[in-house]
Amino acid sequence: MRMSEILIKNANVCDPAQGINCETMDLCIRDGKIVESVSESAEVIDAAGRLTMAGGFDGHTHSAGKINVGRFMNPNDARRTLVPGLSGPEARTEKTRAQVGYNTPNTYAIGYRYAKLGYTTICEAAIPMLAARHTHEEFKEIPILDKMGLSLFGSNWQVMEYVRDKEPEKLAAYVAWGLKASRGYGVKIVNAGGGEAWGWGKNVSGLYDPVPNFDVTPAEILMGLAEANEKLQLPHSVHVHCNNLGKPGNYETTIETMKMFEKVKPTVDRQALHVTHVQFNAYAGTSWRDFETGAPMVADYLNGANHLTFDLGQVIFGPAVTMTADGPVEYANSRMLHEKWSNQDIELEDASGVVPLSYSPKSFINAVQWAIGIELALLVEDPWKIMFTTDSPNGGSFVNYPEAFTYLMSAKKREQVISGFGKMALDRMVLPGLDRELSFYELAIMTRSMQSKMYSRPEKGNLKVGSDADVAIYDIITSDIDPSVEHEKVKQAFSGAAYTLKDGNIVVKDGKIEATPMGRTYWVNAKVPADIDSAMNKDTDIKFKKYYTVSKSNYMVEDSYLPNPVEIRTEGAF
Amino acid sequence: MQVVKLSLNKANKIPIEADTVTPDNFAGKTKEEIEAILVWYGNGQCPLGDFFTVEVEGSDSAENTKIVFEGNVSRVKRIGQGMSAGEIEINGNVDMHCGFAMKGGKIVINGDADSWLGCEMKDGEIILNGNASYYVGSGYRGESCGMRGGKITINGNARDYLGEHMCGGEILVTGNVGLLPAISNNGGTIVIEGNATMPASEMKNGTVIIKGEISDMLPSYKEDGTEEVEGVTYRKFVGDVNAGGKGMLLIK
Ligand SMILES: [Zn+2]
Repeated sequence: MRMSEILIKNANVCDPAQGINCETMDLCIRDGKIVESVSESAEVIDAAGRLTMAGGFDGHTHSAGKINVGRFMNPNDARRTLVPGLSGPEARTEKTRAQVGYNTPNTYAIGYRYAKLGYTTICEAAIPMLAARHTHEEFKEIPILDKMGLSLFGSNWQVMEYVRDKEPEKLAAYVAWGLKASRGYGVKIVNAGGGEAWGWGKNVSGLYDPVPNFDVTPAEILMGLAEANEKLQLPHSVHVHCNNLGKPGNYETTIETMKMFEKVKPTVDRQALHVTHVQFNAYAGTSWRDFETGAPMVADYLNGANHLTFDLGQVIFGPAVTMTADGPVEYANSRMLHEKWSNQDIELEDASGVVPLSYSPKSFINAVQWAIGIELALLVEDPWKIMFTTDSPNGGSFVNYPEAFTYLMSAKKREQVISGFGKMALDRMVLPGLDRELSFYELAIMTRSMQSKMYSRPEKGNLKVGSDADVAIYDIITSDIDPSVEHEKVKQAFSGAAYTLKDGNIVVKDGKIEATPMGRTYWVNAKVPADIDSAMNKDTDIKFKKYYTVSKSNYMVEDSYLPNPVEIRTEGAF
Repeated sequence: MQVVKLSLNKANKIPIEADTVTPDNFAGKTKEEIEAILVWYGNGQCPLGDFFTVEVEGSDSAENTKIVFEGNVSRVKRIGQGMSAGEIEINGNVDMHCGFAMKGGKIVINGDADSWLGCEMKDGEIILNGNASYYVGSGYRGESCGMRGGKITINGNARDYLGEHMCGGEILVTGNVGLLPAISNNGGTIVIEGNATMPASEMKNGTVIIKGEISDMLPSYKEDGTEEVEGVTYRKFVGDVNAGGKGMLLIK
């Protein structure tokens, strides 16, 4: 990193972490950090009163690892040009490598395009530990962005055995070991127990349906991992993809799961639970025939709860690619939609699947799904509980974020889309009755500020003195624009930042890539008492000897896979 | 009428991607303007005039523009890509993706064509007086719909995967074809006057007529009487049952 000073003059700063709501001020940067002041010789950027935020932070995206299965299943995605400037083939330039794709862009395009949107940090939402090396190999080739990933524990044999045998300390030790082995940042649980059941062609039907051959329930797995998560004092809470995803009536399981976590006491100043892509888990009805929105019920619960955060999983009309460790869901998707299907068995750990699909406003189910994401964002009063995502590319590609922001900020824009829906769709949603329009301040919370606390990364998602100088300047004069009416302008501005700075380097200028520095990879090294660690390792050795197709030494992600690692150490409370 | 003659100065080894070579793009342009049109050459772009001697007679609209390639252009790809009108005549062999996604007009090739001839074609006509390679009239990799309309006539043989994922239009082959013609097709008509191996696998819809011998007829077809086409009676098969298909496969 070069030693340098930058003065951003006349920045119209929106920084909810400091309660700053579109106030014009100067920002000072030295050596990649926000500072109080800079010298006369500082390089000057004139923000000219334009909207300025901390760099965006996408805390749930599928951008490294499983996305590669999506790439080889959908070579045709390479040529999709649905979002101008942010999709399709682009030849290399002096500063950038060749780019392709829309839902499953190549690694370089992922870095460039997030940066163009003013995003500077991403969290890969699912690392199968056995395949973690691959995830890190892709991280290495995603330029600009800082990265982290969540490791999958929800259908892991050793986890389920420790839960069954009531060995919480060994379980915590295993989680710490798994994070180290995969260089992961946090604990992801996908359809707890369902991945193992899928190995037998089955699924679990809810929180209390035992996993075949393990004599544990999804509820026990969730509570066991939450306890381990808190024992290890991990910077992030458990990150949960609820059981019964994508099924009509699943909102009940979702609320039940959220309620179960009321008794979890976080050992770090953050939420006790993050529930992901809730849109896919907020369905009412008993079948696809009487399917309708469950968002009001879920939002009602969320408004009265303070122990959790969630993200949207907003749907974008057009082609998408679903990719998840929820193997049985992907099989069901492919049969229902007569689509291509890929399935992977991650040995003792999980299953996963990839299925491409297309969301159409003409399908009443897709229209209601689209509405549910927005309903959740508008019905939940406190934006600090909400992270904006499309679960990219499950609900749609991240390059559509600017379009989706206008859904949240403009009732007129929503009306435009809704006018294309049939009567049946309108009867099954509550969105047409909602007139709330989010402000830039609220949008900033959902796209960067809340992530800082959610992931315990105080240096991210805000512009406080001492924070990383990740800054996005958008071509919007907040006092002159009415986002409700001028939603097209808002979309344009968010589609190509006037400036994106990463650690004080100008990486985007006028929507074009200026520089491509390598970002960091964060991972968590959680301390475990030595005796517990060695007892747990004996069990792990048996698993490798008896079952795994690789040896333990070949399983661990080595340091050489992380060119720019940031090791986060935790002390643990054993 | 406008006639543009292109002759390759020297056989190229690195392929030229000539998707800008269409009557639509040449119509009304002078020799100098056509020479300046950029084509991809390896990983960079170069003017067409770097590779070809260009002669132009007359000036007219796309419908009345004819492009003539003199000699082999075996390493020139994507000729006529997306063209909507006019004519291209190639007096020699041509590289891959000729007539890709063409919407109208006509391409005549007096030589052999490499793979993906008329891939994703929507309308218009391709006449190949020579042999074709793989994937004639098919879809782009990963796409569920190939050729949608128009007609491809091959006065020669074609290799494997003819009409893969075809959704409409017509393909006629006067010679033999290779493995798996009409695989995964969902519409359109394919007529093969010669022999074929394992035809119409996973066909959902459409018609396939094979006048020659069939090797390895798939077991996943139901025989359903006979059908007469242009005075000839064929055995009629319906399938592919494996794909829940309602396609019609007519054989001798
Ligand atoms: Zn996800």
